[in-house]
Amino acid sequence: MSILLTEEQQLIGQSARDFAKEYLEPMVVEMDHTGQYPAAVVKQLAAQDFLGLFLAGEYGGAEAGYVSLVEVVENLSRVAPAVASIMVNHALAAYAIQRWGSPEQKKNCLPKLASGEVLGAFAVFEHGPTPGVGAGALMATKLPEGWALKGTKAFVRNAGAAGAYVVLACTDPAAGAKSLAAFIVNAKASGLTVGAPYETMGLKGCPMADLAFDNVMVADTAILGGSTDGSAIMTETLALASLAEAAQTVGIGQAAVEHAAAYSKTRIQFGRPIASLQAIQTLLAEVAADCHLARLGLRYAAQLMDDGQPFLVEAAMVKQALARYGAKMLIDTVQVEGGFGYSEFMPLPRLFRDITGTTLLEAPADYPEKTIAAALLA
Amino acid sequence: MPKLLVCYKWVLNEQDIKIRPEDLSLDSSRAKGKISDFDRNAIEEASLIVEQQGGTVDALSYGTPAVKLSVKDALSRGPNRLLWVGDPGADDADALVIANVLAAAIRKAGPYDLILCGEGSSDMFYQQTPARLAALLGLPCVTFVSKMTLDGAVLKATRKLGECTEEVSVTGPAVVSVLSEINKPRIPSLKQVLGAAKKPSEELPIASLGLTPDELQPKAVRKSPKGFLMNRKNVVFKESDAAANVAKLVAALAAEGLR
Repeated sequence: MSILLTEEQQLIGQSARDFAKEYLEPMVVEMDHTGQYPAAVVKQLAAQDFLGLFLAGEYGGAEAGYVSLVEVVENLSRVAPAVASIMVNHALAAYAIQRWGSPEQKKNCLPKLASGEVLGAFAVFEHGPTPGVGAGALMATKLPEGWALKGTKAFVRNAGAAGAYVVLACTDPAAGAKSLAAFIVNAKASGLTVGAPYETMGLKGCPMADLAFDNVMVADTAILGGSTDGSAIMTETLALASLAEAAQTVGIGQAAVEHAAAYSKTRIQFGRPIASLQAIQTLLAEVAADCHLARLGLRYAAQLMDDGQPFLVEAAMVKQALARYGAKMLIDTVQVEGGFGYSEFMPLPRLFRDITGTTLLEAPADYPEKTIAAALLA
Repeated sequence: MPKLLVCYKWVLNEQDIKIRPEDLSLDSSRAKGKISDFDRNAIEEASLIVEQQGGTVDALSYGTPAVKLSVKDALSRGPNRLLWVGDPGADDADALVIANVLAAAIRKAGPYDLILCGEGSSDMFYQQTPARLAALLGLPCVTFVSKMTLDGAVLKATRKLGECTEEVSVTGPAVVSVLSEINKPRIPSLKQVLGAAKKPSEELPIASLGLTPDELQPKAVRKSPKGFLMNRKNVVFKESDAAANVAKLVAALAAEGLR
């Protein structure tokens, strides 16, 4: 195993940087103000093969692997983390289908996801403490003609824009979270409604809403894996989410520290650039080191995925580290930029709001410690 | 079907080059390589022609052995095959040596119906390679092209000159240098990046090109390039009367010769 990027991975990272400069820089501020879903940019993501990045070639994917995935996500997030969030949530649905789908499900779904004809979304969370528990939990009831889904999924990213959802539902009320199953649900299914979009703190442009299921009927063939595989699907897919969100967090931190470093060289106080002050240098150096070490950790975990090795614990470690100091990177860089950095005409406030989302949204904050401790104590 | 060649230079990314404040010398120790900006336009134009009307594009580069690092990058941008000449002495090569090597490589790998270059490299920007190359190969040269079409053997090009344009028609083969405005170079997709590894590439050893020591001897010697720092005057007008400040500023600018 090597955590150094291959030549192809470096070029893919460069393509993502160039893409971000060309297509994301011109629209990111406007997207942040309006919160409007960037449909045209998502089409461009598809044209660059980003939406089928790790999918198999037989389904139209690029087969670029998971190290390439985190490299692309980091570089898009340096400019527009919300666009990276759209791509990440799409990737989670695609991952679940490629990993657990039947040959028929893969053939039906993956080419459309790879080409961008259909945007995917992974719907895990509910308003209760864990999927399948509490009032409003999404329940799946077996009927002769298939499954009836009733209940609510909460905080679903890409909601409304997605054409296909991978949805976790409880198949046995008595067993609760232990009886989760994952279903592929067409966004146009009768009885499925998308709630009002949440007004979020950051990551504006990546839509987030609840999905209400009113006896949505899906066929037996819509179930991913077996009727009790949902928990495993959730665990592993959220581990990938941890890595992708870590890549987003690193990208945001890197963008912030580069901006703050450049600013510190031009901001004159007491007759000299503030970059010459040791206190400023310390803040910048700590953020740069945090980014670097987190990047190594997430590349390592992504390489494990590329090698077909277990990666859940390593992904959890990266998630835990960045949940602890991800937002601090923005506190420190805003500190460097002072009053100007606190102003909305500078990019750091937007990045500050975005990094709050990337450190807590897709994988719950208490998840990593449980995984790491379980491995230690086994 | 036209057979095209595009020449490009692998240069250091200027954004990675730092100026040492103590002596203004350049620190390129952490600088990464990239395909020269203007050459990307040449690669794109050649690739577009072939994608639209068939044919093939070879890419050719001369540089230090590090030029090998450019192979997949260049091939991901459209060319079907890549040839490179790695030479430890290439760092000191002047425009004459560069043209000599490229011409020898083209004689060996050619012939080609059209040879495209960028208007100049983004490091030295001598703007001499296309013209010298054409002279060495005995071909017509069309420089500063902002628009072009290839119809069979006939090249129709718009040259952008100072304050006018010129329409040129040339029956090939010919050497063309393109301006950056001729197109927008593609951002290679993932499949194009990964597909580059499957395309053929070949090193042409410098010793195999039949060049004499004199042809490889630079005549222009580049000496210690230095950074340029603009020192600000740090003059501040901060009287309470804003109008007076403006008047003083205007007077100061006028005294500097600004009209």
